[in-house]
Amino acid sequence: MSATTIGLIFGAATLMAMFSGLPIAYALGAVALLFMYFFMPASALDTVTQNVYEEMASVTLLSIPLFILKGAAIGKSRAGQDLYAAMHVWMGRIPGGLGIANVFACALFAAMAGSSPATCSAIGSAGIPEMRKRGYSPGFAAGIIAAGGTLGILLPPSITMILYAVASEQSLGRLFLAGIGPGILLVAMFASYAVFRYRKERSCASAGSPLLSIETFSVREKFEMLPRVLPFVILLIGVMVALYGGYATPSETAGLGAVLALTLIAVVYGMWRPRDVSPILASTIKESTMLMFIIGMSLLFSYVMSYLHISQAVAQGIVELQLSRWFLLAAILLLVVALGFFLPPVSIILMTAPIILPPLKAAGFDLIWFGVLMTIVMETGLIHPPVGLNIFVIKNIAPDIMLKDIIWGVLPFVILMLLAVVLIALMPSIATGLPNLLMGLPTR
Amino acid sequence: MHALHLFALKLNRSLAKLHGMLLALGMLSLLAAAVVLTYSVFARYFFKLTTDWQDEAAVFCLVGTTFLCAGQVQMLRGHIGIEAIKGLLPVRLEQARYFLIDLTALVFCSFFAWKSWTLCHEAWAENYTTSSSWGPPLWIPYALMAMGVSVLALQLLAQTLMFGGVVPSKDHPK
Repeated sequence: MSATTIGLIFGAATLMAMFSGLPIAYALGAVALLFMYFFMPASALDTVTQNVYEEMASVTLLSIPLFILKGAAIGKSRAGQDLYAAMHVWMGRIPGGLGIANVFACALFAAMAGSSPATCSAIGSAGIPEMRKRGYSPGFAAGIIAAGGTLGILLPPSITMILYAVASEQSLGRLFLAGIGPGILLVAMFASYAVFRYRKERSCASAGSPLLSIETFSVREKFEMLPRVLPFVILLIGVMVALYGGYATPSETAGLGAVLALTLIAVVYGMWRPRDVSPILASTIKESTMLMFIIGMSLLFSYVMSYLHISQAVAQGIVELQLSRWFLLAAILLLVVALGFFLPPVSIILMTAPIILPPLKAAGFDLIWFGVLMTIVMETGLIHPPVGLNIFVIKNIAPDIMLKDIIWGVLPFVILMLLAVVLIALMPSIATGLPNLLMGLPTR
Repeated sequence: MHALHLFALKLNRSLAKLHGMLLALGMLSLLAAAVVLTYSVFARYFFKLTTDWQDEAAVFCLVGTTFLCAGQVQMLRGHIGIEAIKGLLPVRLEQARYFLIDLTALVFCSFFAWKSWTLCHEAWAENYTTSSSWGPPLWIPYALMAMGVSVLALQLLAQTLMFGGVVPSKDHPK
């Protein structure tokens, strides 16, 4: 049987297993095992556990549970509300400042916590009620938080980027840095839209609407907010210095970040008792175990695809189509969008990397730059239906906002993110400029 | 059928207690990994000590946490899947679908558990170690993997028997 035929059966079996509702990790593992049994030597089945262990026992991959721990520690403390309150006070006088405060708070929190749902939950639980109290429409309030939360998978330390670095064999340090420029671009675009939207909603506001009132804060009030926020900003900077100053490897940075985050919440919020810390550890274990199982089985799945020459045949087939490089890029990004309807970023990266990266490399694209584009495209998957994880997080924290309003509210942000993808495609230095500046040009 | 259901419930209750203990162990192990890696940074830069064991020790801790707590995550139905057809089928077919999902996962995890114990035994008998200068024995992480996947398989067995038995549909995870 040719590799193409096996590939078609493999693809069909994977789709069937996944759409049956079988958890993704088991679906990938079971399909891999089935094809090992039928198409690979019997000895392959004997080494299946060793393969999974060796793939999972990578110190880079195992930094993921520790980054999740760092995020959970910050996410379960009052840091999100404090950060939001500080941004609100400092930006209160700017027209549309409340919206901007939400975007900035989301970006900072996302960079500290590295998790989109945690960002939505932490900032949204304070930000959405405040925006609604100030007269903003519920859809916009929900949309800005859902979109701001997606920055968690773009800004370092991003778990999505860690997986992409492993799958594409690119430098994790470079990838983390490459996410910063596009992250700032998205923050600027979201903030500009917040100002535009504020003006629009204000011009339509009736007399007596809270949107027409201007809130002022004294200098004292502003400075009183700082002591609760600065330690976390120092943590954010400290972790980056440890990583890029050459003091710690990415996994050590993850461990250090987790210990510092736990220490900070103990000192700032008094969260040091076992009853405070155990929910943080339990939620970390739940999320990281689920992710690590998907990762382990995805790697087994990719190994089988590679052994049976499926990924090579598909990649070769794409190269032989001789598509123009931009058409190839657009087609691949559309595929990522389509997969984002059903799959989390973790699975998309690990399942597609062996197929899509060789043709992109052959077409001369920089894989660091592509990683950023792919991440932003996957970010949109977090806020568009049917998966749209962040939409459901928002629905959870603001149950009285209609799902229809949330979806309409996030739509402008999806368009802005796709616009950012076009801008970064046209000006790659938005992504590659910072890593090239700080780490030198990559060796080819 | 009733006896099977009672057995599944008893098994589930016993496993819940075991998961509680394994979760506590997993929490300590997760904290230990974070502390070991932090120590590694301080040991290298402040005390100029060599750091040859920290990465592997952290990997063992984190592998242990991942596998030992997999059963507890399964008990909470924490492994995500695509639920595109959820709610589209009649109740009985939906129950049959859940039964088949759990059964498939059970078969897969049972095979994985069996092969993990084989690997662990081989590493013990042949005295396999990692390739680093520290060279700890590999049966340790393999045993953690084997134990964890075995507990996961037992959890899946309990869940398979419950959905295949006479558990009313209101007990189904939403």
